[in-house]
Amino acid sequence: MSRPGFVLEVDDRTPPLLVHEGLGFRLEEFPLGTRVIYPPEPIASIADVDGAIRDALLDPVDSEPLPALLFPGMRLTIAFDDISLPLPTMRAPDLRGRIIEQVLTLAAEKGVDDVELIAANALHRRMSAAEIKHIVGERVFRSFWPQGALYNHDAEDRDNLEHLGLTEKGEDVEINKRAATSDLLVYVNINLVAMDGGHKSVGIGLASYKSLKHHHNAKTMVNSRSFMDHKHSEMHSSAWRMGRLIKKHVKVFQIETTVDNNIFPKPYDFLMKREWEWSIKDQASALAMRRGLAIAPQKLRHKMFHDLRSVYGLTGINAGEVEAVHERTIRKVHEQQRVKIEGQSDVVVMGVPYLGPYNVNSTMNPILAACMGLGYYFNSYLGQPVVRQGGVAILYHPLDEGFNTLTHPSYVDFYEEVLAESTDPAVVGEKFEQQFATDPWYVHLYRTSHAYHGVHPFYMWYWIAHALDHLGDVIWVGGDRRAAARMGFRSASTLHDALEMASSTVGGSPSITYLHNPPHLLADVR
Amino acid sequence: MLALEMFRSVPKTVLGKAAGGRVPMLLTGVAAPLRLVTIPPPKVERPGWVRLRVLLSGICGSDLGMLSGKTSLYFSAVVSLPFVPGHEVVAELLEDCDDLPAGTRVVVDPVLTCAARGVDPCPACERGETNRCSRITVGDISAGLQTGFCHDTGGGWSQQLVAHRSQLHPVPDGYADEQALLIEPVACAVHTALRAGVSAGDRVLVSGAGAVGLLATLALRELTDAGEILVVAKHARQRELALEFGATEVVAPKETLRRIRRATGAFQLEPEFSAPYLLGGVDVAIDAVGSSQSLETCLHATRAGGRVVLSGMPAKADLSAAWFRELEVVGTYASAHGEEAFAKATGLVGHDAVARLAKGVATYPLHRWREALDHAHSAGRLGTVKVAFDPRRNQ
Amino acid sequence: MSFWRDTVADVRQVKRGWRWGHRAQVPRSAEEFVPPASSSIYPNDWSRTPWAAAAREVAQKVGLEPVFRSQVRTQVSGLSVLDGLTGPVIFVANHASHLDTPLVLLSLPDEWRRRTAVAAAADYFFDTWWRAVGSSLLFNTLPIDRRGGTLSATPGEVLGDGWSLLIFPEGTRSTDGYLGSFRMGAAYLAVEHGVPVVPIVHRGTFAAMPRGVSWPSRGRRQLTIRFGEPLVPGEGESARELAPRIKQAVARLLDEEETDWYASLRRSAAGQTPDPAGPDIAQWRRIWTSSQSPAVGPDRPRAWGR
Repeated sequence: MSRPGFVLEVDDRTPPLLVHEGLGFRLEEFPLGTRVIYPPEPIASIADVDGAIRDALLDPVDSEPLPALLFPGMRLTIAFDDISLPLPTMRAPDLRGRIIEQVLTLAAEKGVDDVELIAANALHRRMSAAEIKHIVGERVFRSFWPQGALYNHDAEDRDNLEHLGLTEKGEDVEINKRAATSDLLVYVNINLVAMDGGHKSVGIGLASYKSLKHHHNAKTMVNSRSFMDHKHSEMHSSAWRMGRLIKKHVKVFQIETTVDNNIFPKPYDFLMKREWEWSIKDQASALAMRRGLAIAPQKLRHKMFHDLRSVYGLTGINAGEVEAVHERTIRKVHEQQRVKIEGQSDVVVMGVPYLGPYNVNSTMNPILAACMGLGYYFNSYLGQPVVRQGGVAILYHPLDEGFNTLTHPSYVDFYEEVLAESTDPAVVGEKFEQQFATDPWYVHLYRTSHAYHGVHPFYMWYWIAHALDHLGDVIWVGGDRRAAARMGFRSASTLHDALEMASSTVGGSPSITYLHNPPHLLADVR
Repeated sequence: MLALEMFRSVPKTVLGKAAGGRVPMLLTGVAAPLRLVTIPPPKVERPGWVRLRVLLSGICGSDLGMLSGKTSLYFSAVVSLPFVPGHEVVAELLEDCDDLPAGTRVVVDPVLTCAARGVDPCPACERGETNRCSRITVGDISAGLQTGFCHDTGGGWSQQLVAHRSQLHPVPDGYADEQALLIEPVACAVHTALRAGVSAGDRVLVSGAGAVGLLATLALRELTDAGEILVVAKHARQRELALEFGATEVVAPKETLRRIRRATGAFQLEPEFSAPYLLGGVDVAIDAVGSSQSLETCLHATRAGGRVVLSGMPAKADLSAAWFRELEVVGTYASAHGEEAFAKATGLVGHDAVARLAKGVATYPLHRWREALDHAHSAGRLGTVKVAFDPRRNQ
Repeated sequence: MSFWRDTVADVRQVKRGWRWGHRAQVPRSAEEFVPPASSSIYPNDWSRTPWAAAAREVAQKVGLEPVFRSQVRTQVSGLSVLDGLTGPVIFVANHASHLDTPLVLLSLPDEWRRRTAVAAAADYFFDTWWRAVGSSLLFNTLPIDRRGGTLSATPGEVLGDGWSLLIFPEGTRSTDGYLGSFRMGAAYLAVEHGVPVVPIVHRGTFAAMPRGVSWPSRGRRQLTIRFGEPLVPGEGESARELAPRIKQAVARLLDEEETDWYASLRRSAAGQTPDPAGPDIAQWRRIWTSSQSPAVGPDRPRAWGR
């Protein structure tokens, strides 16, 4: 049985609590009275996954059944979420592959010949063949990859983008040409957090830079309160406007799935348990892992964490009309992640783990760590932020992983050149975004190598715009001093030092909230 | 006369070359082929020559290279051992010399040209390209490319030396001795800037922010129409100074290539087992360090058809880029009479930034030469740009 | 060096944080989310594996028996009742002391002892891992939930596997040495699995080591133990019918201990078996009586009198 998420108040019976910090974790003794938010335990999942997929396809929401939309001689395009979802990567077989297989089975029965599969990676890095194979499964890969009918979306391929017009607010809508000119576009999504899915899938996943810049900028991001609440997110409003325009041009059949939060497989399962329920074995595992990590070289630690594959349970699958489907999806996501919290606090503590959407099989560089903490975790709220206006965020991450020049070439330059000049998202965007977005080398690496687009670090920085605007101070516990300073933050060696440093902003005995995250939680703050 | 003398010592030189990198202590200790001696002062035997009392004499990177056995043996033919080093000299005249009365404060252009050697001017000297003189081993005085490498003239690291009238440039009264000391290095920088062939708006990379790099930056900014000047600096104080001297941007060594790539929109390539390089890059690069790394950075960061200027005494480097990218690799050595480098340098030294820099010159008496050399070896890290001997001091 | 220092610091933190050596505690605010304690009982299926049996044999023969014999004297009677039995049986005994279990086990013939498991209170013997391991290894205990919960292995399964069971139907040790009321468990199991019930009575353990005492009193107290005729559940007999028979058998055996076999039979037939719960007298007089070790006549010739 799944227990709901709840708010723990640290008392003298509370053991040290687990805090993730990059490729490791620590056991932290929080001051008495600290509120700790625990996400709900994994909710009930569907046993017969293939059956559930079939039901969803044959009995969709606000749409004809999929077989009725298929006809011989049609152009069918299947787009799917890229490797940034879910986190950590799903143990094979991936849900998307299982769904695509069924969609293709139906298409084959109906005699559809012209089928292409596109990874909706927007400005994310191109996935390698192995990564795509993991997502779509061996059968699909073998049938489409060698023919070039299964590929990554290229947001810089001018010949293969289609401008669909302007929204009522003058935003360019430009998406993948193949997708835009199909008779049917099937989108297969994994809705890990409330931010994903809906019109964001096609409208952002298959868009070009020209289209993305309308909502991926500092101004929009500051006014997205929060990203996890698409009705109060400026970014999502823009994506929704674009989505509605897209709908007039191409028939979209959206398939959204939700998974439980069973992210740490054995023997790492203790990382998800509530600490006071740790058995002797769990305690021994934690100790052994901590000590092992302390002597393991960085490479080994990286491998250990990044080789981890999660066994998710499917908690819901809905197909059909985008908005109706998304409505149901969000309900499931909330069921799994939402925790009700009374009131804001002065200080919020967050442990930034080893993995974010943009460093799968790569490194968590300081910018991504900042984005993970101040972008994702900070924004993971409904209503109002967990921390009050002018409060302090204390984050845990060593910020020492450096930059992966294969996947994040523009990040290095952003870090060394742009952040050295200013850390204000608006200023940074104004002055440098164009240069980075149009730099031919970045474009080249994005299109041919496995690099994030040149403009991507700016998006990371816009992500945290709301947090920077809202917070009085940001302190990294255990963070590299220089990296923190470069980003305009401070670093402390322990939580107590950090609280001492925060005392000038929030006083000597602030109220503290620790988001016990991951697994992901969505704070519903009253 | 008290003097520091460099002498021939194979074991010391070999030891310095072999172990100096690991144990820097050796370079200013047992492995330094230098000694403090009392020798008779050099004599004036011909007209046009004059005795000088040394006020200050700087320690140059080339001196350090020589003392630690790093300098190429190429140069062994153009020096005459033993000699008193010191070619950055501020001194005053001990007697009248032609138009200059005794007591005049002068700086010395160290190049020993045809004029000083009492031979007919070689074609280079005739053209005023005195630094390219081809008679540096013959004539009245023994072999030596400069004062400070010649046995007969003496050098700056002593109380007295002799110099030819053609080498002397009077110092204006308003200048402090330390400021005057910088005239010779600035003259070299002026020559470098002129050799760099910078066109209007060119993007220039100066690799290194020691005295050579900083002064080259100054000369480039003041004498050319260079656009952006990117300076590679290792240490904090160097970064500040580089900006004061006219750098547009200062970068750390390991960021250099990426920053240039970003600034110029070039493409970066990663060859196997060797350093990355750019297709595209700066128009002119000046190597002001003289290490293989610095030189390769310059070669790898310069656009095709661009120019790489060797301002530091160069080390070995992979010249593939010079061939493949058709780079003009030019050397720049000392300064020439014809371009009036000293006159221009004297003007530049009046610059506020240089005056401030001059205040930071660290001076040592001769007998503390080991400390002085050690300081000079790590000058960058210690925030010093120039270390000098002051033979007048006895403490 | 700092690695070891950090290791020590880590271990200390975990030791303090999770209060090693104490019971786990739940933060007050998390109490409402604690799932009802379904099973805090340590599984002990392993203790009936051949390896554990071999270890137990050593523990009992080398450790337990010499110590036990050095502290008390025993007199065993009626073992012949086992001669006609083969399969698993349920031994039912009165319970007055922690000495009861070793007394019964060590009185059994080896081949019976090796195949006998002891029903023990899960909430006491199986709440910590060391007590669970210790009692399983030494006495082959089997957790029984006194409050009625789920168990890893039920006594029925163990019986089914051919193990005999020793059950103390009183469920707890007597406070004064007299028999308390019987629970239905043994009768229920016997009827369910069709196994005979062998009644056992013993005396003197209360005198030697009552509740609250952790070691037999000095002077090698005398213990007696007597095995009674097996009770076989009849065709269609229910547990409710069998239970009084068991209790009657135990009471008669107690009477036999006091008097003699024939006299007890006569009294039993006349329905005059004394109430094993003891006379209705003041508590101190009951304890007074029970704390007297049984007197034993020289029932068989010995080479050297003990």
